[in-house]
Amino acid sequence: MKIKKILIANRGEIAIRIMKTARLMKIRTVAVRTAVEPNAMYLSYADEIFDNSEDISEIPVFLDIDKIIAIALNKGVDAIHPGYGFLAENAYFADKCIDNKIVFIGPSPDAIYKMGNKTIARKIAIANKIPLAIGSDGNISNEDEAAEIASKIGYPVIIKAASGGGGRGMRIVRKAEEMERLFNIASKEAEKAFNDPSVFIEKYIENPKHIEFQILGDTRGNVIHLGERECSIQRKHQKLLEEAPSCALDSRLREEMGMMAVRIAKAVNYYSAGTVEFLLDSDRNFYFMEMNTRIQVEHTVTEAVTGIDLIEQQIRIANGESIKFNQGDIKLNGWAIECRINAENVQAGFAPDPGKIEYLNLPSDPNIRIDTGVQTGSSIVASYDSMIAKLIVRGKDRREAIKNCKMALDKVWIKGTKTTLPFFRMLVRNQKFQDGTFTTAFLEKDLDKYYFNSEYEEMLAAWLATKLFVEENLEESSINVDFKNGKELSPWLLNKRINQF
Amino acid sequence: MDISGKSYKAFIARQEALKKQYSQKQAEKQHSKGKLTALERIRLLFDTDTFEEIDAFVTPANQPVEFGKVERSFGDGVIVGHGKVNGRLVFAYAQDFTIMGGSLGVVHAKKIAKIQEMALKMGSPIIGMMDSGGARIQEGVASLSGYATIFQNIIHSSGIIPQISVIMGPAAGGAVYSPALTDFVFMTSHTSYMFVTGPNVVKEVLNEDVTFDQLGGAEIHARKSGVANMIYDDEENTILALKKFLSYLPSNNVENPPTVADDNSTIDVNEKLRDVVPDDPNKAYDVKDIINLIVDKNSFFETSELFAANLVTGFARLKGKTIGVVANQPKVLAGVLDIDSSTKGARFIRFCDAFNIPILTLEDVPGFLPGVDQEHSGIIRHGAKMLFAYSEATVPKITIILRKAYGGAFIVMNSKNLGGDFSFAWPTAEIAVMGPDGAVAILYRKELAESKNPAELKKELVKKYRDKIANPFIADESGYIDEVIDPAVTRKKIISAFNALSNKWVKVPARKHGNMPL
Repeated sequence: MKIKKILIANRGEIAIRIMKTARLMKIRTVAVRTAVEPNAMYLSYADEIFDNSEDISEIPVFLDIDKIIAIALNKGVDAIHPGYGFLAENAYFADKCIDNKIVFIGPSPDAIYKMGNKTIARKIAIANKIPLAIGSDGNISNEDEAAEIASKIGYPVIIKAASGGGGRGMRIVRKAEEMERLFNIASKEAEKAFNDPSVFIEKYIENPKHIEFQILGDTRGNVIHLGERECSIQRKHQKLLEEAPSCALDSRLREEMGMMAVRIAKAVNYYSAGTVEFLLDSDRNFYFMEMNTRIQVEHTVTEAVTGIDLIEQQIRIANGESIKFNQGDIKLNGWAIECRINAENVQAGFAPDPGKIEYLNLPSDPNIRIDTGVQTGSSIVASYDSMIAKLIVRGKDRREAIKNCKMALDKVWIKGTKTTLPFFRMLVRNQKFQDGTFTTAFLEKDLDKYYFNSEYEEMLAAWLATKLFVEENLEESSINVDFKNGKELSPWLLNKRINQF
Repeated sequence: MDISGKSYKAFIARQEALKKQYSQKQAEKQHSKGKLTALERIRLLFDTDTFEEIDAFVTPANQPVEFGKVERSFGDGVIVGHGKVNGRLVFAYAQDFTIMGGSLGVVHAKKIAKIQEMALKMGSPIIGMMDSGGARIQEGVASLSGYATIFQNIIHSSGIIPQISVIMGPAAGGAVYSPALTDFVFMTSHTSYMFVTGPNVVKEVLNEDVTFDQLGGAEIHARKSGVANMIYDDEENTILALKKFLSYLPSNNVENPPTVADDNSTIDVNEKLRDVVPDDPNKAYDVKDIINLIVDKNSFFETSELFAANLVTGFARLKGKTIGVVANQPKVLAGVLDIDSSTKGARFIRFCDAFNIPILTLEDVPGFLPGVDQEHSGIIRHGAKMLFAYSEATVPKITIILRKAYGGAFIVMNSKNLGGDFSFAWPTAEIAVMGPDGAVAILYRKELAESKNPAELKKELVKKYRDKIANPFIADESGYIDEVIDPAVTRKKIISAFNALSNKWVKVPARKHGNMPL
């Protein structure tokens, strides 16, 4: 193997995830120590550490292209794995790696660029006859143009940032009179988040399911798919729970969608791991949405049902190897669910709740996989994402997976910050979730209460509050104040104090 | 005792009439507003069965009746008396809103004045619980003169006995100056208001719409005006907190503050203290984390928490003995001194000095807040208050420099040459005329202008400045501070330092009073 040493340009659970596989492949790893988390858990998995904790600039080092390249050169690594987020989908960074003779573990800069720009991606999809929601041909420059196109394709429409993702710069417009305002908001948001104000318009698909296909391609032009994931449980376009496979697909539809996913990947000569996202409407029509040119947070559920280590495949493909199996070898085995346990306050609209993890207990079981970057005593810092752990639970079918998930959730115990656990506990008890008939509008439309509390919880809370109040008052009244003591002054002081007047 | 005799009949009848006066109906009226009655407040404050009421049966003065009748009721709308709070003698008056809206008539005022004078004679704290519609219109100028007497008494007692006001209803017009003159003001959220002119007048004169809460609610006075020192959600909690608060204060200015038995539950050497101040000098931290590790467990009682939060003030205990704590709060505005924090600090320091409460200062101050607004509003004048208060105070004064101690703000924050008794510094301290960025910009202006890469050069120079100049060791070696200490031993150090200072006496020149910049 050419690749003998990898720099992990990332942190947290994904850095650990990559280093675990690297270790199995006998590849050395380098991690970066930052000022924000100098004692982070991921550092203990690395063979070497580059200490950047003296650098206290506001911008995370993981976003600083020159710095990352400099660290890679300094440490003499053969390759860089960007993980997800940060520089993972930065074509310029991938290009810079190649310039410096470092292998970028991911697709070609060209593929990143083409799929990263949604207007270009749309054009490629159209050229390759991939089903697509009707919309504007390219970027839209002003609200008048937007209104014109929207009236042509019919409301509701969705405005999307051309170089965006993760829900930012995205607005659904239901009425013509909202267009001007929402267009401007989306455009401004896009500029702020992605440094690019361009947006485009698509027909908004009402209540779809979010289905995405895991793609694997090598540098020799082989592309296969590893089945789908369903990520319809979202809040404001942020995924909360993912599962593989999806109960909305049968093998015929799976084959059809998978074929489309492979086709678009081939259109950009895609290699490494990637994800093609589709929306599936209630009539089982599907529409290409976008392609993510990186390893996804939710790659774990695909690994759970296919038994393939996606990080290993990424590294092997980056090393120039061809994929050792073909489409026919891929069998989906059982069901897997991933819950993103984040440090967020569900009752405060999922607001991040950073802080120290005072206690962390995660269950272990053959059916359970935990990917985490924290342990008891670690801190969830405000400067990074709020993920605490990914809980991946398997079962032989969906019912069993949900049952196992429910049990696993009850065994997770996290103290110190508020978490999304109460949300998941509520979710797995929801009938519509169990039936699998939910869509991306599930949270807004079908879930009345975002958190679960057991029958006795409120009673217990009231009881504890009362106990605390009583104890506090008892403690207060038990403070034995000695007023006499204050009157006993040394003659020296007493004399002087009195003579003062 | 035989109370069936004729002379007792009138006595008993009167007692029953008074009882009837506090009828359930009137209590319900208060309760429906989320308020307690005057009697209930008194009962909450004082130890069981210790309150002795005075002048319960006085009746309002006779006044001309053209402007409405004055209710003939016992007590004239105020309960006054004395009792024990946590076993110590305390005087109190509580206005009764159910009787003529708690309005202040002549007799009402006389009762308050009487109890004020008694408290001063005995050298005991006095609590005023306000819930009043203001001066009684029917009694005219007589009621106004009543206010004047009350004000005069407060001023005479100021600095001699602790005087605390608790606002539990409206306080409007001249009435607001009674709490304003006292040492501390407690308020209850949503049921108490203070303003000189009410919303109706504001509407008439300025045509601005403002609600009672927006104009003078507890929240506003605690956050913005600084009039209220402590606010609580309901009256029960307000009074419980007041009782706790009183346990820190001596009865008068001759005595020392009371002590509590030290249960030795706080560790004297705590290594956690080494981790609170971040390595990065630009990072914030919560100074209260440090306070809570230094003082006796759970003993820190913060005053004016919401107002000028860039300076933390409050009482605490050290080995059971009361101290006052003044600390810059890096978490808020980086802990700068501005107008509000200067006046807040100065007033707190003067209270401590008046009542023999030693002062502990925790310093991490980047300087005074710059800006046109601050300068034009008189940061010079207001900053001088802090300086004056620190220097004037003769109680034991100890300073610990945690991190930044720059320029004028270093001098102000109880520096040694301003009369601080002991000055310690942590190894993280940076003592200098100004912060590294400013200093480098001035000292190396030319070099920076000529440099090809000024940002890089500046970074280098800042690092050099921090290493060479902005550290505690120069000050230590030249005696401007007493010792650079390991943060872990801070508590141990200050306990022994305050012990050494327990008999401190400073002879100040005789004078009528200093002329503090106000």
